[in-house]
Amino acid sequence: MFSVKPLKPTFKSYLLPVQTDLKQTPQPPIKKLEAKLLPGEIVVNEVSFVRKCIGADSSHGDLWGKLICTNFKVSFITHDALPKQRFQVANRLLGEHDVPLACVEQVVTVNDAKGKQKVLCSNQKLKFNPTELVLYCKDFRIIRFRFDEAGPQSAKKVCLAIAHYSQPADPQLLFGFEYIGKQYYGSLGERVNGVDPGGGLQMPLFDRPSEWDREIKRTGAAEWRVCSINEGYVVSPSLPEYVVVPVSLADQDLKQYLCFFTAHRIPLWCWNHPNGSALVRMASISDPLQQRKLDQRICSAITKSHPQRSDVLKSDLDKNLPNIQDIQAAFVKVRQICVIEPFEESEEKWLSSMESSRWLEYVRAFLKHSAEVVYLLEGKHVSVILQEEEDRDLSCVVSSLVQLMLDPHFRSLTGFQSLVQKEWVMAGHRFLHRCNHLKKNDKEESPLFQLFLDCVWQIINQYPAAFEFTETYLTVLSDSMWIPVFSTFLFNCPQQRTENSMDFAKSKCIPMGEEKALRFPPVWDWSQQFTPKDQALFNNPMYVGKGATCVQNGTVKSFRRTKKNYSSTLRGMPSSLRNILMDGHDSLTLTRRNSLVPRLKPDFSQIREVVESPTERFFRDWVSRPADLQGMLIPQLLPSHLALWRLYFLRWVPEASIPKGGPVTAYHKLSQLADEVEKLQSQLRQYKGATPASTPTSNPSAPPSDHSRMYFKAGSTHEPSSIPEYLSSSFPFSPVGNMCRRSILGTPLSKFLNGAKTWLSTETLANEAL
Amino acid sequence: MVLFLTGHYPIVHVFCNSVDSTSTSRSDRSTHAAKTPYAMSSDNVSTSTEFSPELRVLRDSNKEEPQLLPKESVQDMAKDVTYICPYIGALRGTLTVTNYRLFFRCMDREPAFVLDLPLGVVSRVEKIGGASSRGEVSYGLVCKDIRNLRFAHKQMEDSLRKSIFEILMKFAFPVSNGLPIFAFEYGQVYPENGWKVYDAQAEYKRQGIPNESWRITKVNDHYEVCDTYPSNLVVPVNIPDEELKRVAAFRAKGRIPVLSWIHPESQATVTRCSQPMVGVNGKRSKDDEKYLQAIMDANAQSHKLFIFDARPSVNAAANKMKGGGYESEDAYQNAELVFLDIHNIHVMRESLRKLKEVVYPNIEESHWLSNLESTHWLEHIKLILAGALRIADKVESGKTSVVVHCSDGWDRTAQLTSLAMLMLDGHYRTIRGFQVLLEKEWLSFGHRFQLRIGHGDKNHTDADRSPVFLQFIDCVWQIARQFPAAFEFNEYFLVTILDHMYSCLFGTFMCNSEQQRVKEELPKKTVSLWAYINSQLEEFTNPLYVNYSNHVLFPVVSMRHLELWVGYYIRWNPRMRPQEPVHQRYKELLAKRAELQKRVEELQRDVTNRSASSTERAGSPTRSITPVQTFV
Repeated sequence: MFSVKPLKPTFKSYLLPVQTDLKQTPQPPIKKLEAKLLPGEIVVNEVSFVRKCIGADSSHGDLWGKLICTNFKVSFITHDALPKQRFQVANRLLGEHDVPLACVEQVVTVNDAKGKQKVLCSNQKLKFNPTELVLYCKDFRIIRFRFDEAGPQSAKKVCLAIAHYSQPADPQLLFGFEYIGKQYYGSLGERVNGVDPGGGLQMPLFDRPSEWDREIKRTGAAEWRVCSINEGYVVSPSLPEYVVVPVSLADQDLKQYLCFFTAHRIPLWCWNHPNGSALVRMASISDPLQQRKLDQRICSAITKSHPQRSDVLKSDLDKNLPNIQDIQAAFVKVRQICVIEPFEESEEKWLSSMESSRWLEYVRAFLKHSAEVVYLLEGKHVSVILQEEEDRDLSCVVSSLVQLMLDPHFRSLTGFQSLVQKEWVMAGHRFLHRCNHLKKNDKEESPLFQLFLDCVWQIINQYPAAFEFTETYLTVLSDSMWIPVFSTFLFNCPQQRTENSMDFAKSKCIPMGEEKALRFPPVWDWSQQFTPKDQALFNNPMYVGKGATCVQNGTVKSFRRTKKNYSSTLRGMPSSLRNILMDGHDSLTLTRRNSLVPRLKPDFSQIREVVESPTERFFRDWVSRPADLQGMLIPQLLPSHLALWRLYFLRWVPEASIPKGGPVTAYHKLSQLADEVEKLQSQLRQYKGATPASTPTSNPSAPPSDHSRMYFKAGSTHEPSSIPEYLSSSFPFSPVGNMCRRSILGTPLSKFLNGAKTWLSTETLANEAL
Repeated sequence: MVLFLTGHYPIVHVFCNSVDSTSTSRSDRSTHAAKTPYAMSSDNVSTSTEFSPELRVLRDSNKEEPQLLPKESVQDMAKDVTYICPYIGALRGTLTVTNYRLFFRCMDREPAFVLDLPLGVVSRVEKIGGASSRGEVSYGLVCKDIRNLRFAHKQMEDSLRKSIFEILMKFAFPVSNGLPIFAFEYGQVYPENGWKVYDAQAEYKRQGIPNESWRITKVNDHYEVCDTYPSNLVVPVNIPDEELKRVAAFRAKGRIPVLSWIHPESQATVTRCSQPMVGVNGKRSKDDEKYLQAIMDANAQSHKLFIFDARPSVNAAANKMKGGGYESEDAYQNAELVFLDIHNIHVMRESLRKLKEVVYPNIEESHWLSNLESTHWLEHIKLILAGALRIADKVESGKTSVVVHCSDGWDRTAQLTSLAMLMLDGHYRTIRGFQVLLEKEWLSFGHRFQLRIGHGDKNHTDADRSPVFLQFIDCVWQIARQFPAAFEFNEYFLVTILDHMYSCLFGTFMCNSEQQRVKEELPKKTVSLWAYINSQLEEFTNPLYVNYSNHVLFPVVSMRHLELWVGYYIRWNPRMRPQEPVHQRYKELLAKRAELQKRVEELQRDVTNRSASSTERAGSPTRSITPVQTFV
């Protein structure tokens, strides 16, 4: 039915290399252009003889093929190879030219002969035959297809299908449900593919009490307990089933208090500092009459859980930080100047445009606020409550950042993933709404998670050896939000996952048995998307982790998080200085004893005048000492020290890509060296294992098998390493074919829109009479 | 990959420790480094501490005075001087002035606070206001390295006694006071004679010159044709010396077009000169036209010649009023003239002044980026880099020879040719190659360092001062940032060059031309900066360096990639941490590799010995170990 017709002469040239192949193999298998489908995936519509635009200004190098809309993705299938040598990490769920429907932000159809264009929405009509389709993607790609040689009706149908299917009416229409249903449950309802997705993950997902228990033990939070009053989500739908509360609060007390909290969200324990101070998050108290009383009860319970009975300070995030609409507006603007506006035109005012987007200002605001909380926990030894109206947005960012700054465990890969799981997924961050997967909650859309990732990147950028993972990892993690099969990003809270699973299972007659929810894989099961080799791109060769070793006085030692190690940063200072530091602590204690800081302050911004100078001094003291990468890390907060996350924002922009340059060239060199070190270590192990009697059977100088953590392997030892051709500052992404902003109708798109400074807004274009 | 997006290096001048000039603390470090080969040494903790003020203080913790250099002597010392630090506030201590430096030490503080800067960085000293209510007089020091310092001390009861600041004025501006610059006194001996780093003939030989098209002429041996040019000049073979003199008459200051660089394959060349003396009447010179044709003909690959005029076209046209101007395309067949829009020294000076206002002492948090934009500093950097990129691209991709000039050909032209050469030729990206590049394109071709920096001269308003060389180093930093593995040297190398350009400790940046340097006998009477740098190369080496063999660097010249060089311009801010650099970690890995290699070899030996011991008992272990290979 979809067999390939003989190609038209106009693009004969593209076949020339293939024809030379024909001579060599007389009977070439004629490959059909067919979509590769995942379980549960079906083709909705397709059109042949479509041209995918590659270059910005000419059709040179464009690819010919078939454009297919399925219930999961927009797929472009071609026999043509990309003109330039390029490099892109392959995703197991997606082909080279595929875009998941969930990643499609806007569908724009154009007829340049008639001078018309239209932004397509679900269930719309299109009164002209499109000659061109432009997909604006959530990951910032802009992909263009031309229909000059394609059947006009089929082209139109595909465009309409893409518009329709990228705006599902119901969460259960998100592809993940069909996929999981088919992938893990057979047609008769039996379980297939034996292994649980993500079953082999060595990290807590925090959906079981035991995992919370372990976290309590790990942080030494002796006076805190796991509470299961929300089992079955009976008291609050947006809270996880298991939460951690002060030991002194009985279930009875909590049940009594919960109705006074917004959405019944009682305070949640996040983390304990080794000094006993706790980090707690909670929703606002809805009943003003109860506020004072309840505040006092909660705080005294937290105080009781502190070994020194320290104070509790409350930080009102809604008052001190931008709200979700501000953040969304900033993100739209920064995207606008990074990828939509013509490159040269935006050069002149680049810095002030960046400033006016306010994105970096917000990134800094979150980092700064988190650093201040760090000061309270670490420097003032007090417990801190993060309070937010619903405790589901800003507090996710702040609580995760505070923990990243204070606890090196969260800077390892699994630690980081468990942190996101704990403070975002389980705490009920509304990923479904904030991602706007259903495209009908525009006001709810907000890139809080991307903002968080940017904040993490800023810290990595300043302390490149402190994290186990790379910026590629962070970027890929962000992109995974738009592949709607992962439990991590599909739901507003764990309860919704359960409810939607039940409904879906019922409608499809999938027996759930004992299970509470369909087994959506978490995004952390990276084997769903990438080969082990590609996953090595996540590993930072410089990481100085717990197990990592460093060299001291020529001998290899392990880093350990011990008091001794920390105080070693003071080694060599005059003893009088050490006393000063101790005095510093004493004076803080004094302050507290003298009750200059009242026991409970509703908002620490009010006591800024008292604490500001100690905060500043605390930061300055810390900055003046060398950083212990396995200790507390405070980012430098001068605006001059925050940078644009270029890989994330500019990776698709061809003009901004540095051939054979960019940070990746250093990563390349470091990885090779780290790989060599690993190989030596493994040789060493082999020798140690060898008994005196038997010389090692395997040749120890032979490189060990593919177990290396590093993406770039050490070359042969005497060959000077050179930079591979495919490396660029966009690596492992490539701008080729992913950013076609070419002018439409002879004018840049932005001009066509009368210089509208925003991402093509639906209203602007939809209102155009067509 | 984030790696080293902000690879700030441990710059010695943390906080208010300034250009710490010398063999004192530096040699401490190099001996230290010598003991433990990979300077990450003791542990990363102490290494970084080494750059922090505290540890530095330890070294001289019991002294109020600085450790003096050879021939350095204390000129005055005053107790109870207040340093008004913009970050910490008033600090009371002892101020020492020598014939080389200003040294302030506050003993009341733990750790002791030290300010140690060469007087060469001082641009201006002024008394601020009259005596305050507390009877203190206040002095402000404006520095060339983006700092201002403020001191105060009690009004002298003995009105006859000179204030220490008057002494300071005398030694900060030796030229104005008829005193020798300290570089002429400093007599430190280094293992290498830095003056031998650059040998013009050897450098041209490296480029393959002389060849069938180009020759080295001796016409300027005694600086008679052009007193701001070097003695060795490379010119087209078929232009005799007599004609060169006639060309010189048509070019400003006699700066004729001469070869700077030749492409090893295509033979396309980069030549530099000054503007033609066209004037309002559009004067022509047959000799000059023939000469440019000869430059074009020397490159068989192209039948075109590009003339890059660094100036904005308006400025170039305005120069006609003063007898100068630019090549008309009528007169120069086959030549295409391109204006690169780079502004003059006065605009650049003003831009840096604004930048200083924005970055020192504090940054206004809410409008950082728009304030930075309003200085236009990065915009100027962008234009210079863009010009150099166009030149490199024409030569490399277009295989076309280029002629570069501005008005006199010693400021913008030096920036453009040296940056283009840095992109085109990997040799200049090595430490020694970069020294050669500076010696050649900047020093020998007469960039007027004495005038642009104003060494030892109190006339701080001199219109000849301009941060042209600073801009060049900034551009180098920008390229190195885009290609972190393409340069053999690190950021600290660049900062050191800038610091010592001002310090007046070395002779390298003294005088305005080769002729003056010869006359002043600088190589005999002063030490070269390269002697100091090459005696401790490890400090300045980028361990990530990969020799991009024959690879031309094409940086992306876009505001999206240009950044303010925080590690230089904002280094005085105590809130800035000299970061744990990627390089540090790389060196640790190198050391670890060496250590592991050693252990593998030991075990290997062990296993061999044990298996051999059954047959041969008393054999001592063989010492034949493959040498630990390192390519730092």
